[in-house]
Amino acid sequence: MAQHPLTYMLPDELDLDGLQKILSETYRLSVDSPVKVKQIYFDSFDWRVWQAGGELLQEQGEMNRLCWVNRKSHQQTACQSIESPPGFVQDIPQGPVRECLVPVLEMRVLLPMVKINQQRYTLRILDAEEKTVVRVILLKNQFSAVKGKMKGDLDGRIVLQPLKGYETDFLKLKQQFASLKLRPSEQSLYEDALLGVGRKAGDYSSKLNFRLDPDAPAHVTARLIMLSLLNTLEANIDGTRADLDSEFLHDLRVATRRTRSAMSQIKGVFDPQQLEPFKQAFGWIGQITGETRDLDVYLLHYPDYRASLPKTIQKDLDPFHAFLQQHHKLAQAGLVKKINSPHFRKNLKAWRSWLQSPGGESDQTPNAMRPTANLADKRIGKLYKRVLKDGLNIGDDSPAELLHELRKDCKKLRYLMEFFQSLYPKPAIRELIKALKVILDNLGEFQDLEVQANSLEKFGEQMLEEGAPASALMAMGILVGKLLERQERARAAFVDLFTDFSSESNRNAFQQLFGVR
Amino acid sequence: MHIIGVYNIKGGVGKTATAVNLSYLAARQGYRTLIWDLDPQAAATFYFRIQPKVKGGKRLVKGKLDLDDVVKATDFDNLDMLPADFSYRNMDLRLEDAKKPTKQLLKLIRPLSKTYDYVFLDCPPSISLVSENIFRAAEGLLLPLIPTTLSMRTYDQLLDFLQGHRITGLKLMPFFSMVDRRKRMHLDIMENFPDAQGELLKAQIPYASDVERMGIHRMPVQAFSPNCFAASAYQALWMDVQNRLD
Repeated sequence: MAQHPLTYMLPDELDLDGLQKILSETYRLSVDSPVKVKQIYFDSFDWRVWQAGGELLQEQGEMNRLCWVNRKSHQQTACQSIESPPGFVQDIPQGPVRECLVPVLEMRVLLPMVKINQQRYTLRILDAEEKTVVRVILLKNQFSAVKGKMKGDLDGRIVLQPLKGYETDFLKLKQQFASLKLRPSEQSLYEDALLGVGRKAGDYSSKLNFRLDPDAPAHVTARLIMLSLLNTLEANIDGTRADLDSEFLHDLRVATRRTRSAMSQIKGVFDPQQLEPFKQAFGWIGQITGETRDLDVYLLHYPDYRASLPKTIQKDLDPFHAFLQQHHKLAQAGLVKKINSPHFRKNLKAWRSWLQSPGGESDQTPNAMRPTANLADKRIGKLYKRVLKDGLNIGDDSPAELLHELRKDCKKLRYLMEFFQSLYPKPAIRELIKALKVILDNLGEFQDLEVQANSLEKFGEQMLEEGAPASALMAMGILVGKLLERQERARAAFVDLFTDFSSESNRNAFQQLFGVR
Repeated sequence: MHIIGVYNIKGGVGKTATAVNLSYLAARQGYRTLIWDLDPQAAATFYFRIQPKVKGGKRLVKGKLDLDDVVKATDFDNLDMLPADFSYRNMDLRLEDAKKPTKQLLKLIRPLSKTYDYVFLDCPPSISLVSENIFRAAEGLLLPLIPTTLSMRTYDQLLDFLQGHRITGLKLMPFFSMVDRRKRMHLDIMENFPDAQGELLKAQIPYASDVERMGIHRMPVQAFSPNCFAASAYQALWMDVQNRLD
């Protein structure tokens, strides 16, 4: 059976000489010269590598390598040599680690999380042919923060590394080690080092994951939700400002949208007059971030745009790419100014202090003291009924505005269901959110493709003024045609998809969960 | 997963040294690599200090043994070996008994495709059912050629065989091996090599004592003499192979 490496913490009373002495009583040993290695651990801001069950490290020693370590087995399952630190997945050279990263990272950039300086002392246990059958590696490690001066020593470790096909030798050694009564490591070296710099893997996620108390007063719950959204928003400011990747701004905007939705949909909980300035402030944040996000989206879509054209004219589209990049740069610079403005900072500060100073319930806030679960049922039920009614009224010939309106309501419904999902049985509510997402994807496609097609036409005019070649505009024309075709297909699919959504089983599920009549 | 056979009808042309050194280079680059020593002489196995014995080796050829269970780690990261076994000398006979006797090897290797990025097959000399299996399993065939008349003849024989058995889609990668640039004949033959398809790899492996010393050190050239001429020749050859397979 395949064996995994075993790691023990190095006790104070044991050192390399001691270990060598113990082992040489039983085994033929070879001692490698000590190796110094620099390790830098990487992950995306939202810990995608970690969430996918991995640890990613760049190792600078004799060779510069990038390795994926399986968190469960503690084994390096993929390694490749690299020349520069990893960033976006498309910039990493072809190789097995890149293959692991492609489905995991998408548009996210890899960021250094923590550094480790390692001294590695390897003892090799040999057979009669002087073939290595087990490696015993003593590790001494220092961690240091990526930024700043924080650093320190980590506890030493002893790793028993099995070699495939020599499991018996490994098991024999493992047994002998048991008599040494060493303490097995409880967490990986990476986790140790993160702890050293005051972090914890997975400490950020843009996903909504509240544990709500069904009996808590609604105003307490609403504050909790909004405060958490504010934390998410603020966590993404630095990355947005530095434009590390497009997802920082995206998450910032989603947190903004969810906040606005929470303000308007968790009704009767706060005094509308008090809420009004904040509604405006978040509206403003949505506004100032819009242009950069739009351009981000076009840049993210660009490879697909290009690939959708006939091969011979694909390169004609390149001036469009240059145009997007240039305008993105301008929009980003404008955005940074706004984010750095006192207005932006003051608004968030005021919002936080408002959220943290409860009170202010009045006759304007009939739902403030209502139990959370009760209000959630009511609000979700009400929105669901509206979505169902409006959706069923849409036929193949209905005007686009009705679909746009429906999309807005579906989004509100989705946010509410996500805010309150911990109050409901997990599989059931997940299933319904998934069903709703199918509709939202379809409506999103219908609207976004139209917006894209319109914007492309507008961009084309701008490019013409800026002296772009006619071939670029022709290519964009073809692209617009393709986008509109796709949009039509999305429109044609709606009625069937909504019929599925409004099926009896879904209706029953909604009724059971939220008591909708 | 790329499967690369290293083959020549003739023995003693630097086949095993090529398989050992290239598999080492692939592994060092980070690719999960397997070298399968199919030659009962077990030279590659010897170079890696591994016992030339496969538990239940006879069952292996019958397809009743999981390859993954008999693989051994070498002393080098990412590089595993399927050692040679004396029973391989009768592999032909066993293959003959199987259904689809020319595709048994491929059937055996296929399940490894998730575990390895490169598989190198160090093939026994001669043309046999074993070699035909290799031709049908491999994506590319590395052909070390000593620049001598006799060696060129074996190359023609191979081409005839492939044509006669309708084996297509196999990337042939002949290259010159054990080259002695002091010999007039070597230079002449290399210059006049008919390479209408442009298959010949540029890199050449010199006749070098460092390669012979692999037998003393029992490890790839790069592992004990990374800066020698032979080591850089194998490095160049590995680059050529990668370019050809892409």
